[in-house]
Amino acid sequence: MDPLIVTQAINLLYAVSTLAVLALGLAVIFGLLGVLNIAHGEFIMIGAYCAYLIQSWNLPYLVAVTLTLAICGLLGWLVEWIIIRPLYRRPFDTLVATWGLSLLLRKGAEAMFGLGYRSVAIPIPGRVALLGTEYPIYRLVLIALSLAVVGGLVIWYGKSRTGSRIRAMVSNPELAQAQGISVRRLAAGTFIVGTCLAGLGGVMVAPLAPVQPFMGLDYVLRAFFALIVGGLGSASGLLSGSAVIGGFDSVISAATSATNGYFAVLVLAILFLWLRPRGIVARS
Amino acid sequence: MRAASLVVLVAIVLPLVLGQFWAYQLGLYALYAAAAVGLGLCWGQAGFLPLGQALFFGLAAYLSGLTFIAFANVPIVAVLLIPLFALVSALLAYVIGLLVFRRPGESGAYFSMIALALSLLGFQIATSWNSVTGGFNGLKGIPGLPGLDDISDVYYVSATALLVVLALAGWLFNAPIGVLWRALAQNERRLQLFGFDTNQLKSVAFSVSGLMAGVGGAIYAPQQGIVTPQVVGFGLSADLVIWAAVGGRGSLLGPVIGTLLVGSLTSQLRDSVPFWEVLMAVFFIVIVLVFPRGVAGLAEPLFRTIEGRRHNKPSVAAPGDPAARPPAKLALHDVSVRIGEVTILDQLSVDFDQAGIFCVIGPNGAGKTSMFNAVSGELAAASGRIAFGGSDVIGLPPNRVGGLGVARKLQIPSVFPDLTISDNLAIALWSSRATKLQLLNPRLRRWKSPMLDELQSRYAFLATGARKAAELSHGEQQILELAMALLTEPRVLLLDEPCAGLSPEETAAVMDLVRWAAKRLGGAIIIIEHDMSLVKELAEIVYVLHNGALLAKGSVVAIQADPKVRAVYVGGEK
Repeated sequence: MDPLIVTQAINLLYAVSTLAVLALGLAVIFGLLGVLNIAHGEFIMIGAYCAYLIQSWNLPYLVAVTLTLAICGLLGWLVEWIIIRPLYRRPFDTLVATWGLSLLLRKGAEAMFGLGYRSVAIPIPGRVALLGTEYPIYRLVLIALSLAVVGGLVIWYGKSRTGSRIRAMVSNPELAQAQGISVRRLAAGTFIVGTCLAGLGGVMVAPLAPVQPFMGLDYVLRAFFALIVGGLGSASGLLSGSAVIGGFDSVISAATSATNGYFAVLVLAILFLWLRPRGIVARS
Repeated sequence: MRAASLVVLVAIVLPLVLGQFWAYQLGLYALYAAAAVGLGLCWGQAGFLPLGQALFFGLAAYLSGLTFIAFANVPIVAVLLIPLFALVSALLAYVIGLLVFRRPGESGAYFSMIALALSLLGFQIATSWNSVTGGFNGLKGIPGLPGLDDISDVYYVSATALLVVLALAGWLFNAPIGVLWRALAQNERRLQLFGFDTNQLKSVAFSVSGLMAGVGGAIYAPQQGIVTPQVVGFGLSADLVIWAAVGGRGSLLGPVIGTLLVGSLTSQLRDSVPFWEVLMAVFFIVIVLVFPRGVAGLAEPLFRTIEGRRHNKPSVAAPGDPAARPPAKLALHDVSVRIGEVTILDQLSVDFDQAGIFCVIGPNGAGKTSMFNAVSGELAAASGRIAFGGSDVIGLPPNRVGGLGVARKLQIPSVFPDLTISDNLAIALWSSRATKLQLLNPRLRRWKSPMLDELQSRYAFLATGARKAAELSHGEQQILELAMALLTEPRVLLLDEPCAGLSPEETAAVMDLVRWAAKRLGGAIIIIEHDMSLVKELAEIVYVLHNGALLAKGSVVAIQADPKVRAVYVGGEK
């Protein structure tokens, strides 16, 4: 096979799988709790800054995962408690409030780290021979990790006791409460899982992205459009939405320019809004 | 009027009191305030939040900057074109609005996210299209407005632009279209059923906000002499939202107060107070959560004192001759509705081919309300025909069906809770009578029709105009909604359990009103009712629905004797 085609194909797979893992936290919070967390991108940003800090302290890269989970978990707990909990079932107010939160986190990062770009070194450098071409190892690792995280979460949600409790909460909160499930704690837990997943995604992509306070905006928009296009509430929706948005974006960006890729994503999002407002994989 | 003169006076005196430095600052922030007023209009009135409003400010700023540079020798040409730049922004906003609001009921996250994404796209284009926009460094050396000598002249230009924007906004807030925007934010479905095209109403609101941002942007370019991608981008978009929220998005002056206050404080304190912007973000969240009406909400008693007591102006007769729209027959032929695997209406054929009161009964899940939803266009039919007054209404959107003269009263009282009783009633009057252009005329808020007079003499609370509908009791809200449906002088009236949850006295009042309406309208009134005692008293003909199809039709006595009906109801209905 033509090595160039192989490289492009893996690039496409990379774009789609990282978008899926970056959208995962948003999908959990939006799909299960009905809360659109616009600050999702800022939790990704926090993960990326954690990676930066860990590297500047000369600690092993994996420590960044612990640090991120601690920070995003704590922040997620606080945010759910103070901002989100009073606003469940008031989607418009949550939209505004989480938008304010995104602003707060961004300004916070700006105050601490400044506006400049930080770079994070790739923890697993080098390239590997693959189907007649060479490909960066870290990107391959990321593809595998992304699929593992998405797959793992989906299996856990489908098989575990907590997963079935969450499903009960989503389909009927009052009845779930009456069955002895603490909906409040479960919702808080779900929110925290969502923010932690965002942070984790941030640690993963940090070495390949410019780390700066505004980086989250782009991610949250792409993740949101991927979810809308794919449809909420299922893994197949998440993956197909990521494939459409990530795929179109990377193909058109590679063929023409990043601006056109961005434009294509927007046009697609608007088309889906008309034609399949509930996404490719509509939940019944 | 008094408040308006006071605002003009303050605008004139301000630079004289504060001096040159502040005149310059305020001259800039007045332009941003123009955009913030538009944002307040979308958010505080029409109930959707554009997160990327800088796009329209920036677009006009770039167009204006390029034109001022191109016509550096004859700057007057560029000056005359300023309204055009604002109109381009308005047009872009209108088109975006039409595209996004095409999805019924959309005014939440999707719209906001697309608006935000568009503003980021605008930023990307502005930074990458070097040959036109000057790229990251922007358009430099834009000539200033001709004939302005000192800074206070520049200020007065901005202040005048802002006052024009405020006058426009004030007029729209007060006109029927403003009432409809507020109604739309509270109960979009109700407005559609009254025959209003809510997509277009939202697009117009967004377009007006684009125009206002465009006015600010078009003057910004010659005033500042430079236009950089920042004016299209995320930062300004975010600031506008904060300013409108802090000042008070629901009021006319709120966004202006917010912009001048927060904006100028920020420009002073950003560098000296550590974490100033973090504090502002916290402040914003607190405002949103705890004090949605902002600073203007605090100052409202003051405004009211300045404004003084409103004088009641005489009412105006609404046009319209009910005879011009004679009652029409409604007939469903083989209408099927499916949702997924479930068949909700199964080749339902019914006709209501004479004047009078008809009752539709049937066990839960028989498809009674679904039949109404199919008629009013809210539920898409898979097959069949719905004939109404000689035309097929199947496939028409709810507002078109409503416009043809199908009025509905929903089961749960559906009014506009935060509007006054008189505005609620006025919306019903506009529904079939007002042209689109007339919606700009504030006189329409004082419309009256003979039927309104009669209703108000029957129910005194309908004449207590300034109260909000939310303050009414459940029973009064039922009457209000019924009165609103009647005021459209419909050709057929669909009532879904109009007496649900009412006391015996209130039930009697509603039944009285229904009988009166049957005589007054002269058309068909179709009522879904569970209570057989009401059915016995009201119905001329009873229709029994079962499993999405018509089971029986006949007089009350005949239906009660029908063995098929008895079989369906065994052990069920009283």
